[in-house]
Amino acid sequence: MVQTRKLQDGSRQVILNGKQYDAITNVLSELAAKTKASAILFADMSGQLISQRGNTDNMNTTVLSALAASDFAATAEMAKLVGEEAKFKLLFHEGDKRNVYLSNVGDDFFLVVVFDVSVTLGLIRIYTKKAIEDLTAAILAEDSEDTKDDKMIDSDFSTLLGDALDDSFK
Amino acid sequence: MFINWALQEINLKIVYYGPGMSGKTTNLEYIHSKLDPSLKGDLVSLKTKEDRTIFFDFMQIEVGRIKGKKPKFNLYTVPGQVYYASSRKVILNGVDGIVFVADSQPHRMEANKETLLDLEANLKADGSSLEDFPWVIQYNKRDLPGAESIDELQKRLNFFDVPHFEGVAVRGDGVFDTLKSTINLVVQNVQNQL
Repeated sequence: MVQTRKLQDGSRQVILNGKQYDAITNVLSELAAKTKASAILFADMSGQLISQRGNTDNMNTTVLSALAASDFAATAEMAKLVGEEAKFKLLFHEGDKRNVYLSNVGDDFFLVVVFDVSVTLGLIRIYTKKAIEDLTAAILAEDSEDTKDDKMIDSDFSTLLGDALDDSFK
Repeated sequence: MFINWALQEINLKIVYYGPGMSGKTTNLEYIHSKLDPSLKGDLVSLKTKEDRTIFFDFMQIEVGRIKGKKPKFNLYTVPGQVYYASSRKVILNGVDGIVFVADSQPHRMEANKETLLDLEANLKADGSSLEDFPWVIQYNKRDLPGAESIDELQKRLNFFDVPHFEGVAVRGDGVFDTLKSTINLVVQNVQNQL
């Protein structure tokens, strides 16, 4: 399972291991192949991009994820105002050339599918539904890998990070 | 904090909070204007026609690899105006560190306090509190005539004695020190909890 823990200060920490990342990316690849979507992103509700597939070279996917997360946040508030108790599960934006289909994956993650208007919405819906099931399974899968973050951040790391920030901020 | 083990990425979310017109967006604009293009992404601003932030500003910065790891910092601002309360709440989702940009002008003292209380209420709703959350204060607009003394600002706003900085964000004074201090707090905080 993707590790999500709350630190003493109340901030949230999400840790994704290699196996989970591969499993998620495989689901996205499969979805991209089946739907001919232009781009597929998987991100967390704080706006953090996790994985992407498709033709994303000319797309700023970091910003797209941040905007998509706020899209969910904004519509969740909208849901409350109109008397919908749950959050809206999917959002759809229709354009002249491209459409964007956004769907949540559990409470903490979401999927963004960008596709040409030539691809039918029904096709996207069917395969996205299946992909969400697979992604949910990938997130919940037991992990055997040791992903303790103490190897990620030690005192040496913070000193070096301080130096790197000084260099960048000159 | 989001750690992607496969890509060796560590992602932090830092939110600039504060009353309307205190200089949150200006902080981000300065950072964006000074950083090497290889280290920064686009600065996206969701603004009204009058140039006021309606939802948020966003920018991602990097500092290259450190011990093989790739730290990335996602910087957000919130809209300061009172009536955008729900936007402020949602942008705090998953936040790791906060920069509170206070306006040093005496007539903005109440607005500073009100926004600080609004921040505390939003953190509390999510089970956190300013008392132990990593955050810093930047007293901005120090160049304006009649700016309140630092002693007075400290007394009125810095209840938890967090690091504070004097800023003139339009000139960049204090901008990088503020951000660096916030990042350090967040990283130390993670280390202390291991």
